Parts: sequence; structure tokens; C-alpha cells
Amino acid sequence: MKPYEWMAECTPQTLWIEKKGLLVWLAEVSGALGGGLYLVSLYFNNPGGLLYGWLIIALGKTSFHFAHLGQPLRFWRLILKPNRSWLARGVIFMALFLLCGAGQLLLSHLRPGSTGELLLKVLTGVLAFLVMGYAGFMMNYVRGIPLWSSGLLPLLFVCGGLAGGLALMLLIGLSGQDVQAKTILAGLRWLLCINTLLITTYLWSAAYASPTAEQSVKELTQGRAAFWLWLGVFVCGLIIPLGISLYDAVAGVTPPAMLALAAAGVLAGVFSLNYCLLKGACYGPLLPQAP
Amino acid sequence: MARWGMVIDLKRCIGCFSCVITCKQDHFLPPGMFWNRLLMKETGEYPRVTKQLYPVLCNHCREVPCVHACPSGATSKREDGIVVIDADKCVGCTYCVIACPYQQRTFYEDNKGGYFPGQGLTALETLGRKLYPLTRGTAVKCNFCVEKIEAGLRDGLKPGLDRRATPGCVNNCPAKARIFGDLDDPESRISLIIRQRKGFPLHPEFGTDPAVYYIN
Repeated sequence: MKPYEWMAECTPQTLWIEKKGLLVWLAEVSGALGGGLYLVSLYFNNPGGLLYGWLIIALGKTSFHFAHLGQPLRFWRLILKPNRSWLARGVIFMALFLLCGAGQLLLSHLRPGSTGELLLKVLTGVLAFLVMGYAGFMMNYVRGIPLWSSGLLPLLFVCGGLAGGLALMLLIGLSGQDVQAKTILAGLRWLLCINTLLITTYLWSAAYASPTAEQSVKELTQGRAAFWLWLGVFVCGLIIPLGISLYDAVAGVTPPAMLALAAAGVLAGVFSLNYCLLKGACYGPLLPQAP
Repeated sequence: MARWGMVIDLKRCIGCFSCVITCKQDHFLPPGMFWNRLLMKETGEYPRVTKQLYPVLCNHCREVPCVHACPSGATSKREDGIVVIDADKCVGCTYCVIACPYQQRTFYEDNKGGYFPGQGLTALETLGRKLYPLTRGTAVKCNFCVEKIEAGLRDGLKPGLDRRATPGCVNNCPAKARIFGDLDDPESRISLIIRQRKGFPLHPEFGTDPAVYYIN
């Protein structure tokens, strides 16, 4: 592209999905999965899941964000303007989640069932929810990218994270821990139906929002991100796990290999959906339409 | 307090890239980085072809998405409306670069590459790195040549009227397509031109109230 062609037409957003920008994608996915697993583990009262959820955010999300910064040693400055920046709010949610989560995990070991542990569970649960959803608000703020200017975006992050959390819980169960696979599959069934509806509505509404958003949807359905959308999001993330969970509802028993396949499919779907949202984003042309 | 702004006369612009080159020279910008750009597009079919030329730069908006995105307070808006970045405070999160709807920010990654790959930096490039150092891993953008405005004001000069207090891209435009001045002064030349010739900003639908206007 010649310098004078830049922003003359719809220009893809590359900063957050190419080269070092891939770390942003990984950070968003690990935030959604870690928060989702923590919330699901709270519901099922699974100490292993709580620990893994906390670790995904502590080791995964935090490291990816840190590695992405141009000046990593100034990381503490990220929290200075929470009154105006969604990124600052998100980092604060993450830091509080890690602090409260560490306290909760410690108390569940030292004083299980105490009031303090219960309070921290509630608080950390709320923070996990915020960690899952803030990326949606952060992206939603960007006015130049119409694909992200949808109120459905935070919901997509939260529902994707919860589905990923259920999938991870299923994998924890398959690794030998006692989990309620039937309830997880039932939850997954509902959540995948909601996700299908959400993703379809999101794409449908974006296609009619503006010419730039329409171009983004074309990129997603026919262009650079089409492989990830059709194979990753729809086939692996929705159709295969939904089919397996329906088979479980009808047959009553599902082989562990199929459960693992369903869980892996959901996880691939979460990764792909986040990739598509970043890869399909386009800025509108700066030049006004010629008369 | 003044609010500095610019008007670009699209009828006068001849697409010579003087503004782009001047900006690169004045700030010793490394390869691939532009604080001033000239966008071109041809529309229509022969014989009815329209060529659009739009010089673009940071709009120094009144409602600033980049300032609202910045989590560290490195990007701020001065009282005179100029949006500046404090490289010592910037974390390099790139959220401001993403959030600018006009895409006028650049994330500066490399401070080693020069204009002649494999041959090191020229004497001028080395001097430039000392005179106008850019911090690696931070966001950078046009600052309306704020150092010239400040120095000029200290010397009692008027930005927009006196060359020494006026941005380089305005001074070096051979077609005099750029006018710089105080938007808050209703009697200033820039305000009169915007009123008389119905100046318009780029993409007012973003709601950012830019300080760069265009007339056609």
C-alpha cells in the first residue's frame, strides 16, 4: 500500500491482531476463559476450577498484557485514569480479582466455609464477571471501528467466557475430578444456543449499520477471517459441541472422548470468535464520498 | 485562552507533498512514520473523473477519544487545545492508537532503522535522534509544532502570522493552502475563513469537534 492510499478506503485494524498484537488476542481470550472458569467453578463449588481460573488470569492474561506493552516497566501507570479509560478500569478489575481471588483461595484452604471466605467468593465472582466483560466495553468505545460499536459486544465476551468456562470444567472432570458432567452439558446446551443467537444477531445488525461495518462483515464471512468464522466459530465452537450435548440429552450416556471433543470445540470457538472480532475490524475511509 | 486550529483549502492544495516532507524533516521522523499525510483517491470513469486530495494530520479534537482512552495520563489536552503525549508517561499500550477514529497516531517500535538499511544512520539522522528524540515503545503524533508556538509566544510573536511561531507544514506550503490561527478569536483570519467559506471538519459524525477544518 502506498502512503497516499492509506485510509482512502476501508482500512483493516492490524495493531491488535498482527505481530505483537496477537498478544492482545491471547490476553482477551485468557481473560474470558479464566473469568468464565472461575464463575462456573463457584457455581459448582469446585476448588480445582477456582484455582485454575485464577491461574489463567494470573499467569496468562497478566503476562500477555505485560509482554504487549511498549514500556513494560511502567505497567503501574495503567491504573492511573480509571475515571475515563476502560483499559485502566479493566486492569484495576484484574488486579482486584487477583488479590481477592488469592485471599479466597487461601481462606478456602485455611478456614473453609468461614464468612470471610464466602464474602471473598462473592466479591471475586463479581470481579471475574467484570474481567470477562470489560474488553467488550473497551472495544466498544472505539468510534472509528463500526464493527465494535455494538452493545452486544460485552455480552459476546461474557457468554463466550462462560461457555469456555463450562468447557474447561468438563475437561477438569475428564481428568479425574468429580464434576457434574450432565449439568455442565445441559448448561452448555443453553449457552451455545444463546451464543448462536447472539453471534448471528451481532453480524446481522453490523451488516446494516454502516458501509464500513458491512465491509467488516464481508471480511468475516468471505474475506480474511472467513476460515476462522465458519470453521472455528460455527463448526467447532457451536455445531459440534451442540450436537454432542444434544446426543447426550437423547442417549443419556456420552463417551468421554466425545465430551473431550465438545470441550475442545467450545475452546476453539472462543479463540476463533475473539480472533474474528479483532481481525474483521476495519476503519472507515477518511476521505468523504466524492460528489 | 487561544484554541489553535488549522484550515486547509482543498481548492489550493496541489498535492505536492511539501507538508508531508516538511513535517518529516522538522521532526526527523524515521522511515514509515508520518505525522502529516496526503490522501489521494480517484473516483468516477473517464471522462468524468474526480481526484480527491486531502491533507490530514492530528485534528487536536475538543472531545478527545485518545485522551479518554489513555489509561496512564500520558496523553493530555493543553489549555490551548493542542493534544500532546508525554513520552515519559506513555506505557505503550496502543489503546490511543486504536481509539483515534482518524488514525493519526503511530506506535513507535524501532529506533535503530534508518533511511538506508544496512548502512547505519546518516549524520543528519544521528543529529535528528539527538535533537528530536522519540522514545521507543510509545505512541507519537503531530503536535502542531508546539515548541515553535511556545517559543514564538515567548518572543511576542503571533502563531499563524509570524513564521517563527507557525507550524512547518503551514510555512512551507507553496500554494498557501494552510492557514493557522486562533479558533476562539472570532476576528482571527482562520475564524473568518471558516465562517465565510463554510469550513467543515472531517467526519463530524465522530463527535470529536476537530480543530482542523477544510474549505472547498
